[in-house]
Amino acid sequence: MSKQYTIAPFSVFSLGALFFSQLVVPAHAAALMGFEDSAMLMTEIGRYNQEWMLNYSPALGHAIGVEQMRMSGKGEQATTITGINYTGLIKRWNLPSVQANIWFNGSVGEAKGQYDGFAYTPSVQFDMESTRLYFLAKARMIRAPGMNYDTAAVQAGFSFYEAGFDDTQPWFVIEAKTMRNNDPGLQVTPAIRLINKNYFLEFGVTNPWQGEGFAPRLNAMFVF
Amino acid sequence: MKKLLITLMLTAMTPAAFAVTTLKAEVNGMVCAFCAKGIEKKLKALPEGHAAFVDLKSRVVAFQLKDGQTLTDEKFNKVIQDAGYSVTKVERVNQTVADIQAQLSKSGKEGSK
Repeated sequence: MSKQYTIAPFSVFSLGALFFSQLVVPAHAAALMGFEDSAMLMTEIGRYNQEWMLNYSPALGHAIGVEQMRMSGKGEQATTITGINYTGLIKRWNLPSVQANIWFNGSVGEAKGQYDGFAYTPSVQFDMESTRLYFLAKARMIRAPGMNYDTAAVQAGFSFYEAGFDDTQPWFVIEAKTMRNNDPGLQVTPAIRLINKNYFLEFGVTNPWQGEGFAPRLNAMFVF
Repeated sequence: MKKLLITLMLTAMTPAAFAVTTLKAEVNGMVCAFCAKGIEKKLKALPEGHAAFVDLKSRVVAFQLKDGQTLTDEKFNKVIQDAGYSVTKVERVNQTVADIQAQLSKSGKEGSK
């Protein structure tokens, strides 16, 4: 018996999600928070899952916020998780031309849709970036009663040229991501990423790259 | 003679009275404009500041003080460290931010030839 899909309780956040999904973040961007006393909005809009997060960083290395993610498995109705999110910087290495980080990120909240109940989404991310090269690896549990959409992802990319602080820098990034109980099980997304001091935008297409399976994906981040 | 004395006095005083002070730091970990935006924003919010400049390629952060204003190296470093980066060296130079920017731009172009 299929369940009636309902919007999760936080109506303001739900409206916010709807609004921001019409804009565009990358749940897999290198920076998972802004600087101290800043807010960051992140969105990922894809065929297989949609996600947005708004967080505030009261101190370096810590951010709290709200997150909503919507996804569906093979032949299933969508499930929406709405929750409170925490991001923590576990370790940072600042080298002359490279920065590397280990992050913890996770939400606790409520799942509604195909699966209902308490949901939790802890994750660990490692990223390393220079002005020309980029690498990221991330593992995330996405669980609720009866639900398992655990994901693992790696990304690698390069910038076409070095850019000044006030310029927009284009990157080519490719991501390979697996999500349990999802189709396709391995999602490969080549993408063009534009980084400016005011925004982060990424546009890619996930396999299969043609026909009915054509699946564009848009990521964006804004710090204010 | 009087005019000459006045001219000499002004000439002697000018460098000291109108000297520009800019704090210039070498910073590690600064690889992305989107991530380093916090440095510029926080520096620009300081009342002592006239201009701020961030250059990812040379790893330089420069902060020009307003005339008559002072800022300790510690406070300047803290702004950069609180944004998540590591300061490896700080110096005070008598150059404007615009001069540093032009100098780095020129050396960057020469380096790419």
